[in-house]
Amino acid sequence: MNIYARLVYRNLRANLDKASLFFELIFPLFFIFVQGPAIGGTGLQLNLGGKIVGYAEYLATGAVTLTVINGGTNAGTQLWFDRKNGMFEQLLMAPFTRAQYILSIIFATLIIGVVGSLLVFAFAFPIVGAGVSFTIQGQLLIAAALFLGTMFFGSFAITLSVALRSSETFQVVSTFAFFIFLFTSSVFFPTSTAPPVIQAVSFANPLTYTTDIFRAGLFDALTPTVSLELTVLVAEAIVMFVLAVIAFRRIRV
Amino acid sequence: MTQDGTAIRVERLSRYFDDKPAVDGVSFDIKRSEVFGFLGPNGAGKTTTIKMLTTLLPPTSGKATVLGHDLATEGRRIRERIGVVQQQDSFDQGLNVETSMDIYGLIWNVPKPERKRRIEDLIRRFGMEEFRKKPTIDLSAGQRRRLQVAREFIHDMDLLFLDEPTVGLDPIVRRGVLDYLKERVRDGLTIFFTTHVLEEAEYLCDRIAVINQGRIVEIDTPENLKRRFGSAKAVEFKLLQGSSQDMASALTILEGVTHLVQDASTGAYRVTTGTPETVIPGIYRIAERLGQTVSSIYIAETTLEDAFINLVTDDNQVDAKAGGE
Repeated sequence: MNIYARLVYRNLRANLDKASLFFELIFPLFFIFVQGPAIGGTGLQLNLGGKIVGYAEYLATGAVTLTVINGGTNAGTQLWFDRKNGMFEQLLMAPFTRAQYILSIIFATLIIGVVGSLLVFAFAFPIVGAGVSFTIQGQLLIAAALFLGTMFFGSFAITLSVALRSSETFQVVSTFAFFIFLFTSSVFFPTSTAPPVIQAVSFANPLTYTTDIFRAGLFDALTPTVSLELTVLVAEAIVMFVLAVIAFRRIRV
Repeated sequence: MTQDGTAIRVERLSRYFDDKPAVDGVSFDIKRSEVFGFLGPNGAGKTTTIKMLTTLLPPTSGKATVLGHDLATEGRRIRERIGVVQQQDSFDQGLNVETSMDIYGLIWNVPKPERKRRIEDLIRRFGMEEFRKKPTIDLSAGQRRRLQVAREFIHDMDLLFLDEPTVGLDPIVRRGVLDYLKERVRDGLTIFFTTHVLEEAEYLCDRIAVINQGRIVEIDTPENLKRRFGSAKAVEFKLLQGSSQDMASALTILEGVTHLVQDASTGAYRVTTGTPETVIPGIYRIAERLGQTVSSIYIAETTLEDAFINLVTDDNQVDAKAGGE
């Protein structure tokens, strides 16, 4: 078996907290089935690149990309479990390189993020189904959004977990950081209608781009800015991945 | 392995942390199928040496070859052929004992049928049948240690680093582990072994290096170390009235006493000295002054522990003098 496959399998088996994972999947369902229909019931509608969608559909797609953040947090948790339990050093004394180890965490995170998003999407489908247009271009955009979003947030979580000195601090800080990402993105509302400060922050927020690209792909609602958003998201994911690798190399053993 | 049968060759290897030497120019060779003990007080540099030789930590200076591969440039080749039992715990918290061994074997690319066979053998050899399905997070410290040592034998290796592997094990399990290690050495395994239990070192090791303050003080066989450095005698005695803090305080300043150990369970004192003929009357004088009675006293056989204490104590005194000059 390939070296990455072995390490990824081990990460998924050994370091996944199944209870946390379950609740990470349940969490977006509340937005899809409770908040979305409740606010959508007021008749609120939004314009996505010329396509009008109800708020319930809008929020349901945002909830799918919210799963990407949850998947990303898992990268930091995996690293913390290994550091806390002595497996980090143990694996570095096995025939693997540090790069292979960190990539195996990223790959495991991608699996969690993408599979989790698809699961949540399957639940959300009855709500968003009517507006969905599956085109090849749209599916590529969906795949890119989920891949790049998970890559960014996985790398971010790894960087954070290296910088912080305890797993407890990591949990608190990552939850706080991810709330900032969440509420300054277009997951819950269009950032164009937000106050100027939030609009400014949202321009740097990769979750905004992940969500916008995902929606554009899903509803085939391409705006002129989609390619620019995709470029920014690629750049942010690469920069964050490089930062994670640099941080990781500096872990003292 | 090199053609001359050397498993590890270390030349002036050093590691500094913030300009302070943790390991300071150590040199030694370890032969194939040898059990090499690495003894030293806490903070002497044992674990740092292991971390360097297992490629976890780059040396600040010096060079080494491990199994014929250069430490600086062939880390991956070295790691393919070594096993390591760290001083700290290492376990996969989401798995049970059996699965954790299986996945450890998988990441080492051991074929499934072979993994299965080895797991059964190791579970039996290390007495883990009762807790083979227990999650690793719920194991006691001793059980977890047993798993950690056993798990390392899932994969093939030529050289095994054991950093205090028997901490937390009860005496019966400990002896079982040591006997298993001896068996594997007979099959050709080389072992680099650190411990604070000197009886273990004496039982297992072919040669022992004593390291203190990052420098190797002496390398020899256990027998030679005892003969050469165990010249100081150990005087053991008990007081009729039980142990006394005043007695301990007085003994530490008694001329000729180089080391004092008090056994809390038996109340016995063990005094290391080069001059028992003056120390024994001194013990009686102190006891009389404190209103105590010496109930038993004898000169004990020299142990590896005595030799170790002498070596480290002498080295510290040399250092202290050098620092004072």
